Amino acid sequence: MYILKNSLISIIRNKGRNILIGIIVLVIACSATVTLSIRNTANNLVKNYEEAHDIIATISFNRQQLSEKFEGGEDAIKNNIEAFNEIEAITLDNVKNYGDSSYLKNYYYVYSTSLNSDTLTKATDKYEYEVEDKQTTTSTTTSTTGGENAGGRMPMGGPGGGGERHTFTNRNTTTIITRTKETFQSGRNLTGDFELDGYSSYDGMTNFIDGTYKITDGEMITDFENFECAISSELATLNQINVGDTITFKNPNTEATYDFLVKGIYKDNSNDDDSANMYSPSANTIIVGSKIIEKLVSDDSTLVTNITPSFILQNEEAITPFSEEVKAKGLNEYYTVNTNLEELKTATKSIENVKTFATTFLAITLIIATIVLLVINMINIRERKYEIGVFRTIGVSKFKLTIQFVLELLIVSLIALCIGAVIGTFLSKDIGNSLLQNEIEATQVANEQILDNFGKGGKPMDLERATVQVQAINEIDAVVDFKVILQLLAIGLGLTIVSSLASMISIQRFSPLTILKERS
Amino acid sequence: MSILKLEDVGYRYKDAPKDQYVFKNINYEFEQGKTYAIKGKSGSGKTTLLSLITGLEKCTEGNVLYDGKNLKKMNLDKYRNTDIGIVFQSYNLLPRLTAIENIILSMDVSKVKIKKKKEKALELMKSVGLSEEQAKRKILKLSGGEQQRIAIARSLSYNPKIIIADEPTGNLDKETETEILNIFTRLAKEENKCVIIVTHSQNVCDRVDCIYDLEKK
Ligand SMILES: Nc1ncnc2c1ncn2[C@@H]1O[C@H](COP(=O)(O)OP(=O)(O)OP(=O)(O)O)[C@@H](O)[C@H]1O
Ligand SMILES: [Mg+2]
Repeated sequence: MYILKNSLISIIRNKGRNILIGIIVLVIACSATVTLSIRNTANNLVKNYEEAHDIIATISFNRQQLSEKFEGGEDAIKNNIEAFNEIEAITLDNVKNYGDSSYLKNYYYVYSTSLNSDTLTKATDKYEYEVEDKQTTTSTTTSTTGGENAGGRMPMGGPGGGGERHTFTNRNTTTIITRTKETFQSGRNLTGDFELDGYSSYDGMTNFIDGTYKITDGEMITDFENFECAISSELATLNQINVGDTITFKNPNTEATYDFLVKGIYKDNSNDDDSANMYSPSANTIIVGSKIIEKLVSDDSTLVTNITPSFILQNEEAITPFSEEVKAKGLNEYYTVNTNLEELKTATKSIENVKTFATTFLAITLIIATIVLLVINMINIRERKYEIGVFRTIGVSKFKLTIQFVLELLIVSLIALCIGAVIGTFLSKDIGNSLLQNEIEATQVANEQILDNFGKGGKPMDLERATVQVQAINEIDAVVDFKVILQLLAIGLGLTIVSSLASMISIQRFSPLTILKERS
Repeated sequence: MSILKLEDVGYRYKDAPKDQYVFKNINYEFEQGKTYAIKGKSGSGKTTLLSLITGLEKCTEGNVLYDGKNLKKMNLDKYRNTDIGIVFQSYNLLPRLTAIENIILSMDVSKVKIKKKKEKALELMKSVGLSEEQAKRKILKLSGGEQQRIAIARSLSYNPKIIIADEPTGNLDKETETEILNIFTRLAKEENKCVIIVTHSQNVCDRVDCIYDLEKK
C-alpha cells in the first residue's frame, strides 16, 4: 500500500515533470483515439459494405472457350449454332441442385421466358401497319426486287420463311426463280414480345436494391406464386394500364392465355443505355414470381426459358470449394463460375486506403512517443538517483521501488490518456466523419431508399440486406466505441511499460552507496 | 551474546590498486545495551565500514554477522528496514517530503507493525528536541542540525536493535552534541539498543562504553 502512497505523493510533489509527461501522453492519446476511431469506422464501413454486398457467384457462358473450340469462317456458322444448341443450358433443377450447398448462405434466380399478347402493344421503335400493295409490273421492264421478310418472328430453332426473289426478265420468256433462305437461330433466344422475369425472392431484384428501377405507382408483387406482375412505366403509358388492371399474355406456341394482376409500375432510371432507342431495354420486361414461370413451363415444356442464378456465398473462402462443387455436380465445361469479389474489393479500396493511412500514422506516432517518453524517463531517473539511493538505504526492495516508479508513470499516463481520449472522441467525430463522409453517406442513402424502391414505404418486407444495413449504420454512428477504448488502454499500458524500461533497468543495476556518496 | 560481529573484515574499492585495502583484518563485536564508538581520522574508512555493517556493500574479505547470521545470506532490504537504524553523515532524507513524512515513510517500509504512526513520529521528534511545527516543514527548510535529528528520529522509528550513526554530532554545537549523546546513551541503557557511533570526535569517545580505533590496524 505504501508503494501507491509514495507514488501519489511523488506525483503531486513533482508537478512540473509529471505535467510534461502528461501533456505528451495526452497528445498521443488524442491522436491515437482519432486514428483508432478512423480505423474502427473504416473497418465498420468495410464490414457494413461486405454485409450489405454479399459475395455472389454467377454462372456464365464462356464465349472465349466456345470460339476457341469452334471452327471459323462463314460456312461454319450453321454448324456452330447447331453445336451451341447441343451444349446443355442450365435448368431450374440444376440451379436448385447447385444451390443446395453448405458454402452458400442463400441463392436466388431469375427464371425468364417470353410471351406475346393480343391486347398489349409492345413498346418498340418499330410500328408495323398493313398497306395495300399496288404493285404493277410490265413484261418489258427489267427489275430486281429485294425480298421482304414476313411480319413477326420466326419460330425459333427452325428454318424461317424469309427469302429473296429475283426477277430476271427476258424479252420473250419470264423466269421467276424463288430462293428460300433458311434462318438459323439459337434455340435459347426468347422469342415472345414480352419478357417475363420470374424472381425467386426480393433479394434477387438487384435492380430495385441498387435503385436502377424504382416502383413509382403501386408496389412490388407481394406473392411469388400468384399471377401478379409489375410492369414498366413505359409499357403502362403506352397501353394506358393502371395499378389494379389485369393484363393478358399468350403463349406463342400454344396460344394459351394467362391473366396477370398489375400490382406495381416501375420506372427504369438507368441512364447508361447509350442506344438511341425510343424505349429503354426494360420497357417490355414484366416482373413476376419465379413460380409463375414454372407453371407456364409445366403447361408447355417447349417454352423457351432462361435462368440466371445468383449464389450468395458464405464468405470469401467458400469461392473455390463452391465452384469445384458445382463442377462436380455436372456443370458443363463451357460454363464458368464467376464472382463479384473483385468488384467488391474495388468498392472498399478507398476505405482500405484510409485505414492503412491511419494505421501507419498511429504506428509512427507510437514509435516517436515511445522514444520521447523513454528519453524523458532516462533524464528523470538521473535526476532521481539520490531519491532511489535513499529508498534503497531505508530498505525498500528493488522490486517495490521499480513498481513504485512504474506506477507513478502509469497513473500520470492513465489520467492523461483519459483526458486525451475524451478530447480525441470529440475530434474524431469531425475528423473521422469528414474523412469517411462519402462512404458513410453512400451507405446511409442506399439504405433509406431500398424499401422505397420496392414501393413498400414503411411496410416490413422479407429483404435480408435492408435489416443488415440498418444495424451496421448504427455501429458506424458510434465513432469511439468500447473496442477503441480497449485498444487505447492497451497502447497506454504498453507505452508506459516500454518507456519505464529505463527506470527499471537502472534501479536493478543500482548501487545505493555510490549514489549517496556522489551527493555528499 | 553479541548482536553484531565483524570477522576478519577487509575492504578494497574495486577501482583501487590490488593491494590497497581501506582496512583489513577487522574483528569487532557489538552487544545490546551498550554504546560504541568507531574512531578514525577523515579518510580512514569510517563511512566505508558503516556501509559494510549496514549491508550497502559486501566485504571483500571476512564476514559481518548479525545475530549469528551472515549478512551475505540475509535479505538485506529487510535487515535495513527492520533490524538496523542508520543515521547517515549526509542524513539522506527525501527533500520533497516533510520531516514527519520522512519518518512515517520508514515506518511504512519497515516490516515491523506500527500503530498510530503519526503520533509515534511526533513523539520521536519531540524526544530528539523538534517541535510539531518543524515536523511539518520540508527537509530543505530545516537546518543541518535539525535534519540530523530527524535522521536520528527516523532511524529509531521502527524500533531496531542496532542504531548506527555516521558523525551524528559533526554539525552540532557542544550543547546539542551533549543532548544527542544523552539520547543515544538513554537508548542503550533504557531500551537495550546497541548504539554504534562513527566519529572522529574525542568528546564522543569519552561518553561511550567501548571504543574501536580504525587506525590501529
Ligand atoms: N568509491 C571509492 N573508490 C575508491 N576509493 C574510495 C571510494 N570511496 C572512498 N574511497 C577512499 O576510501 C577511503 C575511506 O573513505 P571513507 O569515506 O570511508 O572515509 P571516512 O573515514 O568516512 O572519512 P570522513 O571522516 O571524511 O567522512 C578514502 O581514502 C577514500 O579516498
Ligand atoms: Mg565519512
